[in-house]
Amino acid sequence: MSRVLVIIPAFNETQTIAHVVASLKEHAPECDVLVVDDGSMDNTVAIVAGLEGVILVQLPFNLGIGAAMQTGFRYALRNGYDIAVQCDGDGQHPVERLGDLVRHVEQGDADLIIGSRYVADTGYVPSAGRRLGKSILSRLVDAIVGGGITDTTSGFRAANRRVISVFARHYPEDYPEPESLVILHKHGLTVAETPVEMHPRQGGATSIDPKNAAYYMIKVGLAILIDVFRKFSREP
Amino acid sequence: MEQTGFTMPHRVALLALSVLLLAVILELVRRGRFKERYALLWLASALFGLVVGVFPGIIVWIARILHVQFLTVVFGLAFVFFLGLILSFCVVISQLSEQNRELAQGLALLANRVKTLEDTDTDAGA
Repeated sequence: MSRVLVIIPAFNETQTIAHVVASLKEHAPECDVLVVDDGSMDNTVAIVAGLEGVILVQLPFNLGIGAAMQTGFRYALRNGYDIAVQCDGDGQHPVERLGDLVRHVEQGDADLIIGSRYVADTGYVPSAGRRLGKSILSRLVDAIVGGGITDTTSGFRAANRRVISVFARHYPEDYPEPESLVILHKHGLTVAETPVEMHPRQGGATSIDPKNAAYYMIKVGLAILIDVFRKFSREP
Repeated sequence: MEQTGFTMPHRVALLALSVLLLAVILELVRRGRFKERYALLWLASALFGLVVGVFPGIIVWIARILHVQFLTVVFGLAFVFFLGLILSFCVVISQLSEQNRELAQGLALLANRVKTLEDTDTDAGA
């Protein structure tokens, strides 16, 4: 029986965090739940502290999604978890499909299993700006990593011990998902997708708006291209 | 062709320096010694240097529009670039200072809590 940790990075998710945790308790009761508070300034921390059976780690100030998620991986590594599942705190990720992601990892289908919005036709259509940026990045990442990955920005993913070990040491900052796939590839780890349907955002605000989008795409694109030439020290 | 004093040897030197800058920045980022977000500005500048080296007409055009000399535009642009860069450094340093203060205070308070817990443990055990 694998020990599974669900990592939820949270930044100002008062409206949705209790619901997400409850959903996890209902659909994945055997998993441990860790909320990493990324310097929330609203009631998020107070709400989480009042919930049963949730581990809370509070970052002293906002560091961004990448650092918050990495904190979760470091926790998973320190406490010997077999599998870590990344889950957003805004209710968009279909928690009821978490078991499928875990199962694929346990079966050894790949080191990282991505819950993908695009593999099957789920009728999901993001905004035009995001689509363009994502498609360029996606094609770049897919070209590097191979394996026909279509949803490179999905944050709904399940990782095995080797991935946990890598991400605990190397995890990108802003818009981390696409670049993280390249990092895994550089460590000789595999990635596969399984189709899921995301829910619409149930509350709070999105962190990437059209003004930032171009900046992030360029920065991440550059980081990915440079990562291709990096020498990552392999774990002994 | 106008008298700009920007001849072929100058252009080659600019191109070479731009390429060198590009290489240095990329290598530093590759080694993890330089964060991507700060690299972007430098890379854009290196690119600008390359463009001007190949098409100095751009600077000539700006000089004509502003009714100043070629060299004035060059130094003016360089000045503005460095001003902006140093300004952004101050912003970053300010944020780092704040975070540093938060970490130091948090650490001191945490150490105090640990000591209190240890003392309580010792008292209880005694």
